[in-house]
Amino acid sequence: MKRMISIFPVLALAGLLLVVAACASIKSIPGLPDSHPESLIAGQQINCSECHDNSSKGTMKPLTAFSHTKIFVKNHRYYASSDDRLCSVCHKASFCADCHTNQVEMKPSVKYGYRPDLEMPHRGNYMAVHKIEGKTNPASCYRCHGRANNERCIACHK
Amino acid sequence: MKRITRHLLSSVLAIAMPVAALADTSVESTTIVRYFQDDRAGFSTKDMAPITQFLGADFDKLGDGNLSLHLYGWGRMDLGDKSFNNDRADGSLTYGFLKYRFNHANAQIRAGRLFVTEGIVNEQIDGVSARTELPMGFGISAFGGATVHTADISGENTDGKGDGIYGGRLNYRYGGKLELGVSGLYETKAPSFSQVKNRSMVNNGKFGDHKLIGGDIWLAPHSMVEFMGRTSYNTETDAVAEHSYQLNLKPVKDLVLTGEFNEYRDRSYFYSSPVFSSMYSALRDRSRVIGAIASYGLNSQTELSADYRHYTREIGNADRMGAELSYRFKGNDIRTGAGYHYLRAGSGFAAIPSSTTSASFHELRGYIMRDAKKYFASADAIAYVFEKEIAGKKSAWEVITSVGYRFTPAIALSGDISYGQSPEYNDDLKGLLRLTYNMSYSSKGGAK
Repeated sequence: MKRMISIFPVLALAGLLLVVAACASIKSIPGLPDSHPESLIAGQQINCSECHDNSSKGTMKPLTAFSHTKIFVKNHRYYASSDDRLCSVCHKASFCADCHTNQVEMKPSVKYGYRPDLEMPHRGNYMAVHKIEGKTNPASCYRCHGRANNERCIACHK
Repeated sequence: MKRITRHLLSSVLAIAMPVAALADTSVESTTIVRYFQDDRAGFSTKDMAPITQFLGADFDKLGDGNLSLHLYGWGRMDLGDKSFNNDRADGSLTYGFLKYRFNHANAQIRAGRLFVTEGIVNEQIDGVSARTELPMGFGISAFGGATVHTADISGENTDGKGDGIYGGRLNYRYGGKLELGVSGLYETKAPSFSQVKNRSMVNNGKFGDHKLIGGDIWLAPHSMVEFMGRTSYNTETDAVAEHSYQLNLKPVKDLVLTGEFNEYRDRSYFYSSPVFSSMYSALRDRSRVIGAIASYGLNSQTELSADYRHYTREIGNADRMGAELSYRFKGNDIRTGAGYHYLRAGSGFAAIPSSTTSASFHELRGYIMRDAKKYFASADAIAYVFEKEIAGKKSAWEVITSVGYRFTPAIALSGDISYGQSPEYNDDLKGLLRLTYNMSYSSKGGAK
């Protein structure tokens, strides 16, 4: 026990030195800029690799990984869950909140009825087919309506 | 909770007013008035005219320049009959947080109402979230606070969520080729229910606490290959909840080939959601989705994609296949697109399964829009054509037309009219007026 007590200050000092060294090293790690330096055209599918041909400082991923192809838009959850700091360089948080919200007031496709070019869920009269889609792949419903944004679901699903 | 939200929103706005004068500010506002009539047989006719205000504001470069404040929410008031639930007025603070962004290592701290998306974590909290990159490719993030509750489930005074939640993610990146992450979340004990049917859900092991751990991967060994995905494990059910993985191949420029694999154990995946847990028995447990997508940019204006998915469930199998084409011209002013998909699904997937029903349907869509400097207009048509009639109807379709005028680059007025028919409605005619205001007083170059 005494031996443990004598070792403890040494370990604490070593730990402290590691923390200090890590903090000092952090200052040498580059960060992303807080916003895109040039305006981007609203509504345009952006291909980052048109201008960027390498990893951007701070992303550590090639920018081809973030080109907004149709496939990227449909599967953006993978990218957002590991790198939403890069998303926020060009997109405000409200851009995400149009669909990802705790309590939705109206379908995003209604709010943006003048933008049929945008990829948005439940376009048209989805009520009729949701009974089929919900059985085919309920996990896709759960992602948005499982623990939030389900005020309209519980009106019928009691 | 609504009172807290109201006080929180008014306090934040009170703080925001003076700081707005000092900061780079952007404001976005959308006011929407809808009109629709509910005239179903056996019910009294209702004329509904809800007015909804969406409001967001971002105040950047506060304090030493690295502090920012972000707010977004909406409020609704019914000008006619009640449009939804029991209240004539409703509202929600979607997010409202202060963010301090450090100059190095992508480090940041956020406090307030915010969304956390880290690996397998996807939660809204009233609390604090922090993250930074560390030396040697490591990174760490952590969050904690109160859960943001949503509507109470039927007959209960709770939405089924615990009151507190915390978690985080540890990740490692190697040379722009690999990222590995482990993440987890712990929510405090789920509330107990008063209704017998809900208590039986707990007793039968369908519903319980929200506790998950998991891992995620992003791998790009070559510029033509990208692999990513995640697996989550429910520590309450001691079983895997989700496997979701995707492989992207880019053999030539503008061509992306994607393969995807998703497998779910519904009991573990839906375990902390009363709404979905209650449907677990009818849906059974195991499901798998395997799919492939090909997307090709024919040129800078045209993109063509085709997709196929196979669904395997204990209640049967289904297939979905189709293609989409989008075309932009006149300097992106005119955008048009069309798509077709077919879902082949057996009677097990029908709303009311029987030997005479089918869940198969065709989905057709076409749209065109013009976005000129002063005005914009669009038309969008979508139809679901059922192989077997649902409630005596062969299809559900809707056409939406919209026209708008920009008084200035920041202010626009637009109106939509939609008409459709479906198994629910013989005639579904709706109108909408929309006023949008988007103003930025920011010195930043980027339009977000």
